[in-house]
Amino acid sequence: MTKQYFKIAGGYVYDPVNGLDGQVQDLWILDGKMVEAPAADVKPARTLSASGYVIMPGGVDMHCHIAGPKVNMARKMRPEDKRRDEVVKRTARTHSGTMGSVPSTFATGYKYIGLGYTTAFDAAVPPLSARHAHEEFEDTPCIDKGFYVLMGNNHYIMNCIAENEQARLKSFIGWLLGAAKGFAPKLVNPGGVEVWKHHQGGDVDGIDDPVDHYNVTPRQIVTNITRAANEINLPHPVHIHCNNLGMPGNWTTTQNTMNALEGHTGHITHIQFHSYGGGDADEDTFHSKVEPLAQYVNENPNVTVDVGQVMFGETTSMTGDGPLGYYLQNVYGTKWFSADTELESGCGIAPIKYRNKSLVHALQWAIGLEWYLMVEDPWRVVMSTDHPNGGSFMAYPQIIRLLMDSTFRRDVLNTVHPEVVNRCQLADLDREYSLGEIAIITRAGPAKLLGLKNKGHLGPGADADITIYLPHENKQTMFEMPRYVIKDGEILVEDGEIRKETFGRTLYVDPGYDPDTEAHIAEWFEQYYSIRFRNYPVGDNYLHNAEQIPT
Amino acid sequence: MTLTLEFTGNATVPVEVEGITPDAIKSFAIAEIEQLEVFHGNEQAHLADFFKVSGDAASEKMVWTGDLTGVHWIGAKMDGGEIRIDGDAGRHIGSEMKAGTITVNGNVGGWLGSEMKGGLIHVHGDAGHLVGAAYRGSERGMNRGTILVDGNAGNEIGHTMRRGLIAIGGNTGDLIGFNMLAGTIVIMGEPGIRHGAGMRRGTIAFLGENHPELLPSFKFACQYRPEFMPVLTRHLASLDFDISSLSGDESYNLHHGDFLDGGRGEIITKA
Repeated sequence: MTKQYFKIAGGYVYDPVNGLDGQVQDLWILDGKMVEAPAADVKPARTLSASGYVIMPGGVDMHCHIAGPKVNMARKMRPEDKRRDEVVKRTARTHSGTMGSVPSTFATGYKYIGLGYTTAFDAAVPPLSARHAHEEFEDTPCIDKGFYVLMGNNHYIMNCIAENEQARLKSFIGWLLGAAKGFAPKLVNPGGVEVWKHHQGGDVDGIDDPVDHYNVTPRQIVTNITRAANEINLPHPVHIHCNNLGMPGNWTTTQNTMNALEGHTGHITHIQFHSYGGGDADEDTFHSKVEPLAQYVNENPNVTVDVGQVMFGETTSMTGDGPLGYYLQNVYGTKWFSADTELESGCGIAPIKYRNKSLVHALQWAIGLEWYLMVEDPWRVVMSTDHPNGGSFMAYPQIIRLLMDSTFRRDVLNTVHPEVVNRCQLADLDREYSLGEIAIITRAGPAKLLGLKNKGHLGPGADADITIYLPHENKQTMFEMPRYVIKDGEILVEDGEIRKETFGRTLYVDPGYDPDTEAHIAEWFEQYYSIRFRNYPVGDNYLHNAEQIPT
Repeated sequence: MTLTLEFTGNATVPVEVEGITPDAIKSFAIAEIEQLEVFHGNEQAHLADFFKVSGDAASEKMVWTGDLTGVHWIGAKMDGGEIRIDGDAGRHIGSEMKAGTITVNGNVGGWLGSEMKGGLIHVHGDAGHLVGAAYRGSERGMNRGTILVDGNAGNEIGHTMRRGLIAIGGNTGDLIGFNMLAGTIVIMGEPGIRHGAGMRRGTIAFLGENHPELLPSFKFACQYRPEFMPVLTRHLASLDFDISSLSGDESYNLHHGDFLDGGRGEIITKA
């Protein structure tokens, strides 16, 4: 039988990993993978003419909230938000769904693939609820997905650190990732959530505040987990949501957290929320501290960031950061959900409306943009809105326009609170992103930071996840509706319409662990958890369509 | 000339007529109106499957007749014109309406005038629960406009109401003005219990002879003769709402609350 090649002919290819910056090149696909061009006499079974179109690898969202208990709670908590939006109607090929700031599972998959994103990672799942996340992934069509496992307030980990049990810590991280079938360790307000659980309105004030009872500090948690995760060669060692999110003056905590990595590879997420100057919760002193932090990132190649861009409009804040949810509820007086996940983590959910006439909100918006523009190396800054916390992933095309078009950026800046220009440097930044750089911050970069060797590029062996855009002067228009989106070599989207529904793969790691530590974990587990140890790990048979990423 | 919609179906499966309002269809011919989409349970159907349509839509006057107890969302989101309902009707009547008037010569179900933004609804019979309320999860309920119910009404009237006037001529259920943000609710008959729980601002006036024991988070302020009362009662009378039980000489007791939520709301009871 002859091989069924699929050829995409004549497009302008933006594939930064393979050094293509808009060169016209034919792409060849075989069995869902990119392959070398075959011999000249081989005829493809199918050819898609992409002449005049822009071709990029499928987008990779490395930080969003799309599955698991907190996402589902946010859906249930905001019927009014869903009622306002158009429903996603059932078609012969697709399921129905609802939108709002937290779309339903099916709608999430359709909207991501419709934007040309083919991979997305949920950023915070308590391992105890891993099954829930996997079940929702089964209903999230079209895209590949995975999740990060909350570890920053895990009691066992804090015990290991307090007792200086490095080997056991390493083993536990390996065991926990494998048990949850997660992808990477996630630290959310390390130590702070535990303090919140113990004290009314409690939180840590900085990275060196003690976490009582455990007698560890956030700094120790960051340093030890980062070191251990790097030693077990995880594809994405550690994903850190720093302490003191959203607080004026929190930039020092952020810089201290970067220092606490001690030179190991670490990713600081939604850094926009962690780059504020000012102090004592005084709004009048609130200003941007992107410059010193971006300079730190520029000088320290072990640190990478994603932005967590704020976009104006109504959304839902959801986080494993319990005290943050409480803080937001106090500020905005909206409804609020808080949860305590046993020995693992917390959770806070509250609606939020970002207003362009609010100094704080407008400054948050500007600070996000400063991050894109002040980190010199686009490989180390990743596009995110922390969906839905800063805004929806549906806003990515608008962010692209803001980055590629400084006139548009200035026009929008002129519509926000006038004081913003005095408190940040956005007005002075003339940098404009090129299409090649956009390809880096939306696909090649995040794929590299996640250690996904088959994503984010179009070289031989890569997954044939491809987005084809019709060039347009208005980059928002261009990126809002790709002409074609191809996933694993199949055209799933054509002109914004879903042509075929597939279900993508769940990406996870299973780094292994020292079996001798299992008895110790089990003993601790049986003593404190609400479920039995043997019922805790997610079995292989639970994942229907999964791909283990080697460690 | 009015447009008459006579219900000819049966009411066992709900029929939802959202969006069929005088302002929206004023330029439509009868044949077009007959083809308007409605829901019958979870199936899409046409208006003519359940209604006999006659008259003329141009005058923005509409009359719904027949046993409409299973017909919901009449006048929802209307933005002008007049609707008269002759007979009993279902839930969500006048929900989110912006302008115009709805007169009901009969009883209606729950969610009457929920989240309405303007206009006037006058029900000459009874109403169900959640008159002028916020839909579940919403930040605010009724935001402007007037709802008058001559008969009795159910629980949670004015739930999270933000502005506007609700007046109930008869008795009511529990939790009137629950979570109320602002606005005015007048009850002429005998109410249930636990009113004004969580109210931030606004006024709930119990003008009947029997009024309930208030929640402990309300405090008595004074006995007085509020100057606004004659204005309010004159306004209600001008809308053809029965206030004949009041002589105009009454004194009232003023209570502040809910002190669990700032205490800027008031409950007024006849002294």
